[in-house]
Amino acid sequence: MNRKEFLSDFGRMGFAGVALSLFPWLESCTEKAQQEVSGERARIGIIGTGSRGLFHIQHLVQMPNVEVVALCDNYRPHLEDAAQYYPEAKQYDDYRRLLDDKSVQGVIITTPLYLHARMTIDALRAGKRVFCEKSMAYTLDEALEVYNCRKELGAVLFIGQQRLFDPKYIKAMQLIHEGLIGDVVGVRNYWYRNNNWRREVPSPELERHINWRLYSEYSRGLMTELACHQLQNGSWAMGMLPEQVMGSGHLVYWTKEDERDVYDTVSAIFTYPNGVNMTFESIISNKHFGMGEQILGTKGTIDLVTAMHYTDEAAPKGSGMDQLIAQIESGIMSNSVFAGTSWAAETATLAPGMPIMPNVKVVSGESSVGAEADGSKELLEAFIHAVITGKQPEKVLEESYYATQFALLADKAMHENAILRLDDKYKVPYEPLRMK
Amino acid sequence: MALEFRYSDKNPSYPISFVAFRAMHTRIEVLLTGVEEAVGRTLAERVETEMKALEHRFNCHDERSPLSAINLRAAREVVEVDDDMFLALELCDTFRRTTMGYFDVATDTAVAGQMSYQLDARRHTVRFTSEGIRLDMGGFAKGYALERIRQILSDEGITTALMNFGNSSVAALGHHPYGDWWAVGVEHTSERGQMAHEVHLQGSAMSVSGRSTDGRYHIVNPATGATVAGDELLLVEGRSALITEVLSTALYAAPRAQRAAIMSHFEGYRATEIYCRKGGGVERREIGK
Repeated sequence: MNRKEFLSDFGRMGFAGVALSLFPWLESCTEKAQQEVSGERARIGIIGTGSRGLFHIQHLVQMPNVEVVALCDNYRPHLEDAAQYYPEAKQYDDYRRLLDDKSVQGVIITTPLYLHARMTIDALRAGKRVFCEKSMAYTLDEALEVYNCRKELGAVLFIGQQRLFDPKYIKAMQLIHEGLIGDVVGVRNYWYRNNNWRREVPSPELERHINWRLYSEYSRGLMTELACHQLQNGSWAMGMLPEQVMGSGHLVYWTKEDERDVYDTVSAIFTYPNGVNMTFESIISNKHFGMGEQILGTKGTIDLVTAMHYTDEAAPKGSGMDQLIAQIESGIMSNSVFAGTSWAAETATLAPGMPIMPNVKVVSGESSVGAEADGSKELLEAFIHAVITGKQPEKVLEESYYATQFALLADKAMHENAILRLDDKYKVPYEPLRMK
Repeated sequence: MALEFRYSDKNPSYPISFVAFRAMHTRIEVLLTGVEEAVGRTLAERVETEMKALEHRFNCHDERSPLSAINLRAAREVVEVDDDMFLALELCDTFRRTTMGYFDVATDTAVAGQMSYQLDARRHTVRFTSEGIRLDMGGFAKGYALERIRQILSDEGITTALMNFGNSSVAALGHHPYGDWWAVGVEHTSERGQMAHEVHLQGSAMSVSGRSTDGRYHIVNPATGATVAGDELLLVEGRSALITEVLSTALYAAPRAQRAAIMSHFEGYRATEIYCRKGGGVERREIGK
């Protein structure tokens, strides 16, 4: 989906204005904001040109207002991969040299988790505008340090939580805030895959360098690599932060093949002040259920991944035609199950789901690199806009910050086999993103 | 039930008029797009008026209806009827012959293989062939009504509409504004809300016959006079709502072995037997394939 489609989808539903008041970080997506930077170009350096770095490059090459002027990686083959897209860009094997490069305005950091905080802080202090992949940091303290550093400098910092820019999530959250599914009483997240999560290693001494995700020295495993994306769902839907976290994590299967030490099986429960639980479960030795994110309400359910709404209320008379009316109103085509032998007025049915917006592309969650149409491109566009204008969008960093903190806290709870609360020292101002 | 009319211009490209009302013992719904509210409302009222008129004409339970007049007198004398009724009786007789007798408006009183009434085209008259005949045109009227609605809308320049007659007969004008067809799901008989089959309507119609949703068997085999106890759904798709309605009823009543022979008389129509299993399974068999 390009920007035009993105805006047109919102516009068609009379949604653009509402979306902006609710989700101000989308402001950079408006035509007006784009005109503001028209003719200007953001000069970008990329630190870390492995798979995720290349994924972003696929989007950057499509953006006319971007000039990638510098590339950095300490693994030569990855640097060469990226240089194929930008042969003119300067090449570095030390990120500090890239930060010294005055021609670089903004940096995109796509390196292993344990490097995120240090590189982000160094980049901010070097005066760069920064996009760092999620999770924000490897420890709770580091995440706070990054947050405070940005605040102190008033700098631009984006974290790669792309769901915040995914139109189907934005639409779903608007509907939830409007009360479509009643009171939110549960949030379910899961992410199942059946693969060893490994990258091929050309020679054994590169094992930890390439497969850093599997070792706790560099990564917090499934919680920071996968859960972090989903943990903002509860806060976003309910406008509050979890009060406590418990969890269980184990290495169940994949140690048969290697010496990894991050869990391959995790379950976590996040409990909110109102008693509602949000769960996260990930198993990477079974993929049947794939990736799922569901907001459960007293009147229905919204499946965020498929952008479908399921009502708990009995289908009213003529509900098939009602579905059709709703479809046409929203510019959607879908089937309506209503034909049968004869009309029975009071037959309560398990109503079929309704798409909440047109042209939804469903992401399976199987890829370890990224997926099309998951908000990544919009997020990157918003960052490029901020590199040019120097304006930090509101609220977006706090959502990312807490997603990281709760991913890290859950990982800690698993290791300590304890029920944990986020210490007050880690709490930063959080303004709920709820419609009044 | 009073006429229910709704108008929505939430999507300005396709403003929707929706009308629903009770007639012929069921609920009739019409959704159309592309007209202003006043036009939509006028059309809705016209459709309802026409349906009430048809209901009266073909209602064998209303002693003042034209059909009741025939039932009362045609065994004893020649009864003159108007053009519309004559056409209806002609069509019904054609359908009886082409469905090997499995569609018969004299079902409850018919003698197997025999014509129940004789028509005189010159005089526009009807006469029953024996005492005790009684015509019930409910099955015919349903499809005929859908054809009438389609005609009314079409004459007024409507190109996009969906008409639903009690969920068992659905007819379309054009296609869904956002697709190449109207996608209508046939509901699974034991797993409510689940789709057993999907039909794509594009200026065409569909009809489903089978056991009622309350579990009753209600279709009578004209050859035996007995209620047909089949648990499958009989779905017919094709150009005319009248023919799909007639065919789904006749095919459901007919023994399986004879269904393909009936279908051979109808070009451009497709009939499918749908067997819904407990737990959600579905088996389908296209008749004549």
